[in-house]
Amino acid sequence: MKRTFGALALLFLLGVLLVVASPSTGIKFGLGGEDWKAYRYTDQYYIEHGVDEVGGTNIVTDIVFDYRGYDTLGEATVLFTAIAGAVALLRPWRRDENE
Amino acid sequence: MNGLIPYLIIVPLLGAFALPIVGLAGRKARELWAILITGITLGVAAGLFKEVWESGEILVYTLGAKSPLGNGVPFPIRIVWEVDPISALFALMVTFIAFVAVLYSSEYMRHDTGLEKYYALVLVLEVGMLGIAITGDLFNFYVFLEIMSIASYALVAFRNDTWEGIEAGIKYMFVGSLASSFILLGIVLLYGQYGTLTMAYLAKMIAENPTFTAKVALGLLAGGLLFKSGAVPVHMWLADAHPAAPSSISAMLSGLVIKIGGTYALARLAFSVFSAGISTRTIGWIIIFFACVTLIVGNAMAIIQTDMKRLFAFSSVGQIGYILLGIGIGLAAYGSDVGQVALAGAIYHTVNHAIMKALLFLVAGVVIHQLGTKNLNELSGIARKMPVTSFAFLVGAAAIIGLPPLNGFASKWLIYESSALFNPFLAAVAVIGTAFCTAAYIRVLFTFFGRPSERVMKAREPGKAMLVPMLILVVAIIVMGLFPWAISDKVMLPAAKTLENIGAYVSAVLGGA
Repeated sequence: MKRTFGALALLFLLGVLLVVASPSTGIKFGLGGEDWKAYRYTDQYYIEHGVDEVGGTNIVTDIVFDYRGYDTLGEATVLFTAIAGAVALLRPWRRDENE
Repeated sequence: MNGLIPYLIIVPLLGAFALPIVGLAGRKARELWAILITGITLGVAAGLFKEVWESGEILVYTLGAKSPLGNGVPFPIRIVWEVDPISALFALMVTFIAFVAVLYSSEYMRHDTGLEKYYALVLVLEVGMLGIAITGDLFNFYVFLEIMSIASYALVAFRNDTWEGIEAGIKYMFVGSLASSFILLGIVLLYGQYGTLTMAYLAKMIAENPTFTAKVALGLLAGGLLFKSGAVPVHMWLADAHPAAPSSISAMLSGLVIKIGGTYALARLAFSVFSAGISTRTIGWIIIFFACVTLIVGNAMAIIQTDMKRLFAFSSVGQIGYILLGIGIGLAAYGSDVGQVALAGAIYHTVNHAIMKALLFLVAGVVIHQLGTKNLNELSGIARKMPVTSFAFLVGAAAIIGLPPLNGFASKWLIYESSALFNPFLAAVAVIGTAFCTAAYIRVLFTFFGRPSERVMKAREPGKAMLVPMLILVVAIIVMGLFPWAISDKVMLPAAKTLENIGAYVSAVLGGA
């Protein structure tokens, strides 16, 4: 019963996402021309101003280390947390130390 | 003018990253370092709250430039922080509870190993929650949600030699990662449709062109955030995770994580991003539906528990129901007085519940630490041997039920009043929830004040480092309870008004553009 309901819910979600992913009702793919200006204006800005404002010729690194450097700091923190968590969970058990 | 905001992130992040090095100096150094860092962060948050509250404005801070807007274009290109009264209030709440919990851990975690990782994870957890509270960028919100979630997965399973810690950690991690990926999918859809990640500009774009994609994205985001807040159909991880975590962590999880990563984020996205483009009535009623189910199921399940921390965990689920009810009515009655009062009640109850539930979990931690059990059937008559702890429990339980001299009364009253005015049926549901909640806590109270059992006879009060944090929280509950209407008029209602005022949120970032 629960499983059937879950499967139906997943099916429904898939259907909705397919509607969203179809160009006539939702998000467009392969943008170009006017659509590019309408939907990807921030990307256009990064491409036009990246070299002047940041100085790097690689747009991706310009974005991840300058425009959105704070997110990169956050990602580094995620890695730090994951490592600290994994090391903390894999430490020897308490009762082993007493032996 | 807004020079304080960066330190809200810098200080705890420096504390966390430096902890492995400071930890080399020994156990005392680590504890002092963690207490010092959380103390400074509390000071920064208090300063920021004072600044925001006095000016009543929304502070905007752009990372890496003077203005959030790009050169010669009307849209933001950098990450912004947006601190309005509600963010500042929640940042203050987070730092306060985190400080108390760290103070408490210095004695409570004495018998555990791996403490330098423990304190590093606690500080990272605090960073994650503060980042969520102040961010004005959708992807940045996701990054900090992940920081908070990963730190809490690790902390739930921190006692790796107990079966329940590992089991709860695995359950929490699987469910939580699924919820996070729903949230990420929602953000992806919004970016694909609107081409921006800044919440304020996104709100403007959605208002101009509300599409089917935006509705689907809202559905995915709301689903993920209801997972994180422990609303009822998806609350099962919470009832396992909170009892299994160390008590200082349960206090932070139950008091803060489910609220910042769940209800606050839901309110922020629903109000600040979506409310101009999407029918607030519909989304409001959907949240109200989940709130009612959460209220009844959470509080009813609390009655039948025999494990003390599990009882508190289910009670947290029930209290999340009140907060969701307030947010739901605030959305469904958007723009009216009733909606504003409900939203103020939800914000007020978030703060109150954080304090009371932290206190209750700290009490549970003391009982486990001193007696080695959390089974309620073995704990009768603690009051005779541990009077201060029992007094703290009495205050916390009375506050959570909502007895008039304490802080829980005013916030619950605002929610009852607004739900009665909005729809009497909802008020009836809220009152039934409180009746269940009262039954659950009175049962524990009778256990505490019953005849001492053999096990309890040997019990003693814990040391100062565990008593002082509890007393700080007791004082906070009583003092807040003395001025309930002043707090609600001066802090909570203005906060609710700024949250509702989406125009101010958008124009704070976009300026004159």
